[in-house]
Amino acid sequence: MRSRVGKVCLIVTLTGCIAMAQSIFPYPYEKETLPNGLRVIMIPMESPGLVAYYSIVRTGSRDEVEQGRSGFAHFFEHMMFRGTKKYPASVYDSVITSIGASANAYTTDDYTAYHLTFAKEDLATVIEMESDRFQNLSYEKPAFQTEAGAVYGEYRKNSTSPFALLNEKVQDLAYDVHTYKHTTMGFEADIKEMPEGFEYSKSFFQRFYRPDNVVLVIAGDIDPKATLALIGRAYGSWEKGYRAPQVSPEPPQTRERFGEVSYKGKTLPILTIGYKGDGFDPGNRDYVAAVLFGELAFGETSDLCKKLYIKEQKVEILQANIPMNRDMPLFEIVAMVKKEEDLEEVREEIYKTITEFQSTPVSLERLTDLRRRQKYRFLMSLDAPNRVAGGVARFVALTGGIDVLEDVYAAFDRVSAQDVINAARKYFVPERRTVVILKGARQ
Amino acid sequence: MKTTIVAVLLLSLMVCTATTYGGVPVPDDHVVQLPVRNDPTISFRIWFKVGSQNDPKGKEGLADITASMLTEAATKSNSYEKVLDRLFPLAAGYSATTSVEMTVITGRVHRDNLKEYLPLFTDAILRPAFRQDDLDRIKSQAASYLENTLRHSSDEELGKAVLYAEVFAGTPYSHITAGLVESVRSITLNDIEEFYRGHYTRDNVVIGIGGGYEADVLRRIREELGALPAGTPAPVPASVPKALEGFHVAIVEKDAPATAISMGFPIDVLRGAKDWYALAIANSWLGEHRNSSSHLYQVIREERGLNYGDYSYIENFPRGGMMTKPPQNVSRRQQIFEVWIRPVPNETRHFALRAALREVKRLIDEGMSEAEFSQTRSFLRKYVLHYAPTTMERLGYALDDQFYGINGSHLEIFRTMMDRLTLADVNAAIRKHLQYGKMQIAMVTKDANSMKQSLVSDAPSPITYRTPKSSRTLDLDTLISVFPLKIRPENVKVLQVKDLFVR
Repeated sequence: MRSRVGKVCLIVTLTGCIAMAQSIFPYPYEKETLPNGLRVIMIPMESPGLVAYYSIVRTGSRDEVEQGRSGFAHFFEHMMFRGTKKYPASVYDSVITSIGASANAYTTDDYTAYHLTFAKEDLATVIEMESDRFQNLSYEKPAFQTEAGAVYGEYRKNSTSPFALLNEKVQDLAYDVHTYKHTTMGFEADIKEMPEGFEYSKSFFQRFYRPDNVVLVIAGDIDPKATLALIGRAYGSWEKGYRAPQVSPEPPQTRERFGEVSYKGKTLPILTIGYKGDGFDPGNRDYVAAVLFGELAFGETSDLCKKLYIKEQKVEILQANIPMNRDMPLFEIVAMVKKEEDLEEVREEIYKTITEFQSTPVSLERLTDLRRRQKYRFLMSLDAPNRVAGGVARFVALTGGIDVLEDVYAAFDRVSAQDVINAARKYFVPERRTVVILKGARQ
Repeated sequence: MKTTIVAVLLLSLMVCTATTYGGVPVPDDHVVQLPVRNDPTISFRIWFKVGSQNDPKGKEGLADITASMLTEAATKSNSYEKVLDRLFPLAAGYSATTSVEMTVITGRVHRDNLKEYLPLFTDAILRPAFRQDDLDRIKSQAASYLENTLRHSSDEELGKAVLYAEVFAGTPYSHITAGLVESVRSITLNDIEEFYRGHYTRDNVVIGIGGGYEADVLRRIREELGALPAGTPAPVPASVPKALEGFHVAIVEKDAPATAISMGFPIDVLRGAKDWYALAIANSWLGEHRNSSSHLYQVIREERGLNYGDYSYIENFPRGGMMTKPPQNVSRRQQIFEVWIRPVPNETRHFALRAALREVKRLIDEGMSEAEFSQTRSFLRKYVLHYAPTTMERLGYALDDQFYGINGSHLEIFRTMMDRLTLADVNAAIRKHLQYGKMQIAMVTKDANSMKQSLVSDAPSPITYRTPKSSRTLDLDTLISVFPLKIRPENVKVLQVKDLFVR
């Protein structure tokens, strides 16, 4: 690494210091983009000598466009722990172990995150190790094939959950061409064939693991100026060259889809109703209002939840999930129903609630309470460096930074009762709908 | 704006000095404080010294359900719906966790919302309504967890539950906190009220408070909880498991795509003791939870790709699949040494079991090397920093310190001991507390009888791979595949999943 330092000329200045007088985000932060496109966000905060270091690759299972390669972004996340020529896997593990870092990674539909939390005096070591593996990953075929076995093991571990089965079915049914058709784990048939994808894995690294597709978020007990200098030296020679995959847009859905799935074990029946929504965009009033609609109509203080969960006790779970995604995710309502014979009634109650929200304005008091809740829920989540960096990761993946947080919370404050009506009318309509019912074996 | 805040503060101070909140304050030695001036939130952990070990026979699950009747149900002032409505804008809540010996009601709120939150929080503890409709809902959830979720949706949790049930059979530790299907069904409001009266007393509570709180908040909660009735519940004798001879195996028959394995034996050492920290080093090397530094992980996952992970424990670690760091407030007087092998393909189950046991035996027979010792203690010295990065987690540890009678902080002692302990200390602790060959094994798998036959006949379990392996790995595989376990047929039982957690 040292030999590289002299060859790289970097002009990095701290131009991005943001003062946070009236902001939702409580910590002042600094941001920079290196000449090769690598973005760096530094969030100094009080913490007992701890630092959280997130490398966010803006590639996830959404980017698995080639046939037979579903689940590869997640598999590749595993391969990133297989070492380099300079630091083979055993050496990488040994260094990370010797500094007592807590290190792991995860993959989602839209991004992959590698994260470490460690003592502040080990920052230089971590930057050295992380910059090396992101630039110089190197592994042999046997290690690649062994790791494929661990990934299949992860699939098997998850596969006993009825929700895993249900999610597979819902996504497969709802999408025709877009890569949201498969889960992040991937189709089982593709997971089985992963050991054969050695050459493909090399191209995956070349295309996606590039500085112009990665954002570093570093939070905790840090000196931003010194941190940036270290990063500049370590990552400066990493060559840009991200090539965005051509993800096929999903054509508009024209009519409702329905499916059933049978779970081998015993479970209460689960009903999932998904509506094709919009991608994350705080400038899209309908999208922002839909996020609030989910909580207002199906959250724990909604009339429907009180009726079905507390009073009539017909459901064990009722919730809505309006996710933040790059493309058009499903806006989902999920109900775990206690008796199979109540499934239809619960479904009708959900539709009835949507119909009511499409015409009846929500009270100002409810909206105000919800805005307050959103704000404090966010503030309370930021109580350790790892939670701060992890908490902003998806915003970073979707937009490249965290300035958007201000836009999101300002947008929540602007949502009116009419906006909620509009969102309910736009998204929660039969032609955007996919319904899947999961039932367990009778035992 | 500033003026308004000052005025509000003055007003609240005036009101507070004029108000008392009920009872004689909970005494000093029942209060654990963790002030963090710049923390904008306040964390509460209200610990009642009661757990599933206090469940009466035939009413297993009562401690857990009683706690839920406080935190997920109506109070005398508010219906449950109203409670949720009031908490909603505060983005705050409270919940209860019950383990074998502890019940802790946990709450956290931003200081801007404390004034509205605190009366709701104390109301839940002091004035539960105990309504039949709430009980029906909570019992139905507990029964569904036992009959559906635990039996069917996570074979790993199932395997662990069976392991603990077998090791602690016949003791108050034997059932899981959620109870048993039939006992949960039999629980009535009278049972709940009686249990609450007997265990939720001012003599049986410890108040944990942390974060950016003012003195008045502490005074208020001490006085309010001081209004709980007096009384000390009868102590429950420690759960002493029966001594094991040889390997015992419980195989749960299930149409499972992979085999979950857990195993362990009781150990007589608790945190706070020097030997515990020595064993912590050995255990971390063998199987640090969710960490690739784990030796078992290296052997079974990294080298052979058989599963997702392999870990070991010297303290109970519930919900290990969901958490990467140890939980707080699951303290207990009797611990087991435990090995967790995440699901492996059914055709490699015998091999994986042998591979794990062989490594455990090697550690016990040979101890740690200087290099392993040196690296592991260097790892742990800093890794324990990650156990409690938040105020809420540190407060949890502070309560556990009181449970174990630790003078000072376990986490600080942990770090100090990493400098003090020697390799000889660690290897002596291994020899003293760990033993090979007297162990309970739990497996969740398909064709349980064929598994039984393979085990009792010590049949070779060769393994084949789709991918090339090094000659070193293949040579070791040859040894592992015939590693003798010498399991006696009478020590193996096959259980049907539908018969588990019934009564």
